Amino acid sequence: MLRIIDQYAFANRLRAVDPLQKTALAGLTILLCLALDRPLVGWLALGWMMAVTVWYAQVPLRVAGAVIGAESAFLALSVIGIAISVGNEPPATALWAIPFGPLWLSATGGSLQTALHVLSRALGSAAALNFLILTTPLIDLIELLRRLRAPALLIELMALSYRALFVLLDTLDQMVTAQTARLGYASWRATLRSSALLGSRLFIVAYQRSQALEVALTARGFAGELRVLPLSYTVDRQLWLIGVMIAASLVAARWWS
Amino acid sequence: MKRRWLIVALGAAVLITFEARPAYAMHIMEGFLPPLWALVWFAVTIPFWVIGFRQLQRIVREKPEVRLLLGFAAAFTFVLSALKLPSVTGSSSHPTGTGLGAILFGPWVMSVLGSIVLLFQALLIAHGGLTTLGANAFSMAVVGPFVAWLIWRGLAGRAPFWLVVFLAAALADLSTYVVTSLQLALAFPDPAGGILAAFAKFGAIFAVTQIPLAISEGILTVLIMNALQTNAAAELQALAIKGVRA
Repeated sequence: MLRIIDQYAFANRLRAVDPLQKTALAGLTILLCLALDRPLVGWLALGWMMAVTVWYAQVPLRVAGAVIGAESAFLALSVIGIAISVGNEPPATALWAIPFGPLWLSATGGSLQTALHVLSRALGSAAALNFLILTTPLIDLIELLRRLRAPALLIELMALSYRALFVLLDTLDQMVTAQTARLGYASWRATLRSSALLGSRLFIVAYQRSQALEVALTARGFAGELRVLPLSYTVDRQLWLIGVMIAASLVAARWWS
Repeated sequence: MKRRWLIVALGAAVLITFEARPAYAMHIMEGFLPPLWALVWFAVTIPFWVIGFRQLQRIVREKPEVRLLLGFAAAFTFVLSALKLPSVTGSSSHPTGTGLGAILFGPWVMSVLGSIVLLFQALLIAHGGLTTLGANAFSMAVVGPFVAWLIWRGLAGRAPFWLVVFLAAALADLSTYVVTSLQLALAFPDPAGGILAAFAKFGAIFAVTQIPLAISEGILTVLIMNALQTNAAAELQALAIKGVRA
């Protein structure tokens, strides 16, 4: 999932567009979803953001769908938790109630409504967040944080971690392949032992890599600050227009429902 | 009373089997919390970020090169959370890595590094969210590491090494899960039974994945720490000398 999202973040039609613009669009949609807080607003936001991601940014529907599908796992469990009440006796207003041993599982019209409400709000804002992460590489977002004057140390740590992440992940993949080839994951016990070896070796690799980077930087006159050239971006006027349309339709949906 | 909990656990097990997807460590997803609760959890977490970040700045001012190690430490925590663990229920689960991180780097540093990891999880694997970052950071990057660190500090030398590490990692995991259930219960109280019933409900739903996960993570962390002691004694010592364990 990580590599798929990262790949499309670099290879979509909106790659060159200013990250501020994309963040503003996603952020505005999320805020509207939370502030207007109506099921219709959530469903509309879901539709809009999926459409913008798939048609405008040209991320395949298969990918955008897989990302939102994975997010629904947590959502499904939690929404069930909201919809169903557990008590010693069923509430008087219950739509239906099933005795479950000494307990009563019940759902009222109100609890179902809350569940549906939260479901739509979460899906709408998640689609907006997905639009952002499927169209904007993390380095662009870090660059945006720099422009917004976030502390230099935080920016550096994030940029370093982002780089280190893929180095470690590649190492991890190689080690897993080697372990699998030697039946390292053949049984439950072997899996546990292999995972522990993997974790500890990975820590040592991470430590050694950071030391190697330190040596390399010192050799190049590292003075305690990492400087990189800012990237140049374009402004997409059409995307502003789409943003205005989305905001207007969400507000309209709030008054209409 | 006992029978009642057995039935609740059974019911949760049934729910889980319908949901065959492997469960990650619990993160509250984007848009799930009402605006008020999202803000409350940001307000609770921000002091920890400020103190943790100040400590990081002090460490880096003294030793500028430590920032490279810290960058790799955050990446290590992220990659660790992508590791598949064998779980008792058969589905695979994923460790949070916060227990190990708190033992190695201290809880304040972990509150910042853990939050960077959570932000990356939201932005790179669509797990968690931006508006719920405060709530997720509080459960995973603040409560988890502090529980692990308190156990590690409080019991070190008084109990066998493996037991201390196991408890630190497993309870860090469990406390994360308890706090998340509480956060959900506060935001969505049960119409019939109030916050307490809602807490029991969310707790039961997630217990089936999270309790085996906590046990697996505890065992894994013990094995990792044992392997580190034999393979990386020098690195462990260097960490303490560099003052990273704040």
